[in-house]
Amino acid sequence: MGARRGGLASRRTVLRGVLDGVAVALALPWLESLGGFGPTARAGTSSGFPLRFALYAWGNGNNPDRWLPIGEGSGADWALSEQLAPLAAHKDKIAVVTGLSVRLPNVVPHGSGAAGLLAGTPIVNDTFGGPTIDQIIAEAVGGETLYRSLQTAATDTLGQSYSGPNLLNPAESDPFALYERLFGPTFVAPGEGGLVDPSLGLRRSILDGVMGDLSALQARLSVADQARLEMHLDGVRDLESRLARLIEDPPSLAACVQPAAPLASYPDIDGRPQISARSRAMCDLLAMAFACDQTRVAAHYLTQPVADILFPDATKGHHSLTHDEGGDQPQCNAITLQCVAEFGYWLDALRAIPEGDETLLDHCAALGCSEVSLGQTHSLEEMPLVVAGGACGQLATDVHLRVPGDNASKLMLTLIRTLGVSQASFGVDEAYTEDGFAPIEL
Amino acid sequence: MVRGAWLLGLAACGGDDGTAPVAEVGTPRAPPPAVQAGAPTLRRLTTAQYQATLADLFGPTLILPTALEPDVPVDGMVSIGSATSGLSARGVEQYEDAAWDVAAQLADPAVAARVFTCRGEASVDEACAREIVSGFGQRVYRRPLTPAEVDALVAVAASAGETFGSFDVGIQYAVGAMLQSPAFLYRVELGEPDPDAPGARRYTSWEMASRLSYLLWQTMPDDALLDAAASGALVTEAGLAEAVDRLLADPRARTGVRALFEDILQLGDDLDAVSKDPFVYNAWSVDLIASAREQTLREIEALVVDDDADWRSLLISQRTFVDRRLAALYGVEAPVIDGFGEVELPAAGGRRGLLGHASFLLLKSHATTTSVTRRGLYIQERLLCTDLPDPPAGLNTAIPEPSEDAPTMRDRVEVHLTVPECAACHELMDPLGLGLETFDGVGQWRTTENGVTIDASGALAGVPFADAWSLAQVVHDNPALSPCLALHIFEAATGRVPSAGEEEWMAWHTDGFADEGHRVRWLLRDLLLSPAFRQVGEVP
Repeated sequence: MGARRGGLASRRTVLRGVLDGVAVALALPWLESLGGFGPTARAGTSSGFPLRFALYAWGNGNNPDRWLPIGEGSGADWALSEQLAPLAAHKDKIAVVTGLSVRLPNVVPHGSGAAGLLAGTPIVNDTFGGPTIDQIIAEAVGGETLYRSLQTAATDTLGQSYSGPNLLNPAESDPFALYERLFGPTFVAPGEGGLVDPSLGLRRSILDGVMGDLSALQARLSVADQARLEMHLDGVRDLESRLARLIEDPPSLAACVQPAAPLASYPDIDGRPQISARSRAMCDLLAMAFACDQTRVAAHYLTQPVADILFPDATKGHHSLTHDEGGDQPQCNAITLQCVAEFGYWLDALRAIPEGDETLLDHCAALGCSEVSLGQTHSLEEMPLVVAGGACGQLATDVHLRVPGDNASKLMLTLIRTLGVSQASFGVDEAYTEDGFAPIEL
Repeated sequence: MVRGAWLLGLAACGGDDGTAPVAEVGTPRAPPPAVQAGAPTLRRLTTAQYQATLADLFGPTLILPTALEPDVPVDGMVSIGSATSGLSARGVEQYEDAAWDVAAQLADPAVAARVFTCRGEASVDEACAREIVSGFGQRVYRRPLTPAEVDALVAVAASAGETFGSFDVGIQYAVGAMLQSPAFLYRVELGEPDPDAPGARRYTSWEMASRLSYLLWQTMPDDALLDAAASGALVTEAGLAEAVDRLLADPRARTGVRALFEDILQLGDDLDAVSKDPFVYNAWSVDLIASAREQTLREIEALVVDDDADWRSLLISQRTFVDRRLAALYGVEAPVIDGFGEVELPAAGGRRGLLGHASFLLLKSHATTTSVTRRGLYIQERLLCTDLPDPPAGLNTAIPEPSEDAPTMRDRVEVHLTVPECAACHELMDPLGLGLETFDGVGQWRTTENGVTIDASGALAGVPFADAWSLAQVVHDNPALSPCLALHIFEAATGRVPSAGEEEWMAWHTDGFADEGHRVRWLLRDLLLSPAFRQVGEVP
């Protein structure tokens, strides 16, 4: 980014503290401020901490035979399988749901699964048919935080976070850029007081003007273009309210501290991307973004569907291996284990942050998933789905729930409702449901 | 889908003998069929267009913003994606960051000279602010500002000028506001009633200026084009023709032609994302990507801009441009020490044309192997516009590892052509890819695989080929090749696939392309002067 020069007051050189004549909102103790949290109030009240939604996805699936846990039920009645073993440290905090299907025509390999699972829609003209679960939740609960939602990726991918057809929220794949955004010069730790910067008000008033221009233009456009500008407007509104919040004291969350910066870059080593290092850097930052209540919705993509990335020790790219590798696919198995292990790392990071008598993980609904089960056949049965954290005691943990052939949309709807969002249904056609996934609900 | 329907119609028009019809010299062109214009598009500037526009507005010393919403291809084209994709909250934030980064650079006297046509007498000087906002603003918005827009920006300048006690800072804020306006970020082209055709609509003269410059130059209109827009010339036959000819003759058309083909051939972000295993491919280095892209674009530039030749030569040309890195990869002597020079690829080398370019071969291979399917699919979908269905679910797709029984890729993918569910599509793709097996995953020539001589023979639509050299000719001669390029150029020019009311015209336009020797400059001129490019439908 180019250096700021000249007279324009830069956000990089802001004063901190309270100056006479500058309106600064009074700091409200965390618990008092909870009263106004609308959709999340119900979800958060039992612990006093906000409830977060974390989505973790990797590409190209698993092997359902090696994924299926041993036994069903809770506690000692079930044990982790080979491909779930990397989550051993969190067995007490996860629910493994097996047997769910994406009940839509499997016509676009990987695409049908991704859209069907995360949005409950088919792929229509190369795009998802509606918003994805993270955006449905963010739309309802994201208004209270600096960022409505965050999307990140450990590899160079755009991710699969859609606000609607063609309305993609591209993932940030550079850990340092994510750090700068969340914990760079505008970051204010609890107790430091809000930013004082005369440019903030001017910037906000300019954004108001931009909103007016967008609205005026919208009225002259097609429905599809109106939706595109509505997304643009939403972004401007978010930015405007974020600038407004910067002058307020940040939430007084004890666990919120400025984290260490990640490396400036993570170049490929011998033609292989540093997937694990990048993912872990991202997950550390996302966990702290939750701890600082900068956002309550984050989606992290390890790899994308169809990604043909060379994992460590693999002789071919991942997607090639899922199709070409014969036998019981030992290389694919090793890669799936790495994909699950990186989910485990994110859970580690969330669990390492204390919140009251519990940890941040207890105040999360974290969904780990992939867009297919067996990559070789692009199967949409036996979808790999793990829900971690228990969502402030709303969801069962330390449990294996087996429901062969049931509709995966039910689990999505439960997760959406768990976040306090009033949602009548999820999915279309055969994927449509008005019912949540009762077995996981406490 | 409209695009598929049009191509079916097109295939039906093609000759059965695999050759394009040749027009008799002097045959007058049939009159154009009527066009029922497609709906307007709202295109957001692509990253390249946004940066080029900033450079034109603020001059070469401007440090360009780079952290921007990524371009998203739709229907295989960034041009179409720019007219269909949304803008995320992160993208809005990045545009705001970029606007303030650029505005702050007005402190650079060289940048300021582009903006300040007057100097403020005080920290708030409404007359001067008004002059700058309406004058410079017309370049930023690519049209005159409305009085309300001018008032709003003058108010921004006054407010910031007063807050910071500086007129110049006030203007920085006004410029920062302009750079966040939809009038700058989007190409708003909604048209106006056409006085010459009651009931029809046409793009305005101002809109035509941007339509021309972003297609042909990848950047904003220059002053002469803005003047032509202001005079109304661009809605007249003569004025438009003059502008098109000037833009095509300008050196900036090189940038436009390169960008056009980079989008069509998918040599942008897709190629940048390529990565190979250096232990499998000793010739691989990440620098190969830029060299490979440059070779292909330079050859296209030579064919289209310098020679105004039959573009299909791209498929069979032995003349190409290489740097030392590519010369080593191709096994030819480097023509120059630094940069790129012209070489004639020897027939004995087996390599000629686009299908022998490292750009395509790198792009359509895996990290440790070639991909006969992806290479074949590219030829069918990208070059010939064949619609192929997605593969069915639920199939075992394993192929055997190399062995004594199956040493070559042809042996290993045999299952693709013997199992009926696979063969329906793979027989359209794999034989073409197998024809290119003499190029490995980074594009290096080889004659054997695992010690066995590679058999690269096959057929495309019943026309046999013996090897990569003759496959190049077969693709070159395929009657769908040039119509497919014409379709992609239409898509790039309009940001959408042709609508039903444009199909007849497209067929006529494409016939003309063949009659005129497959010259892209002719095609562009024919398109840009046509009702298909000048007329616009109602907002649906």
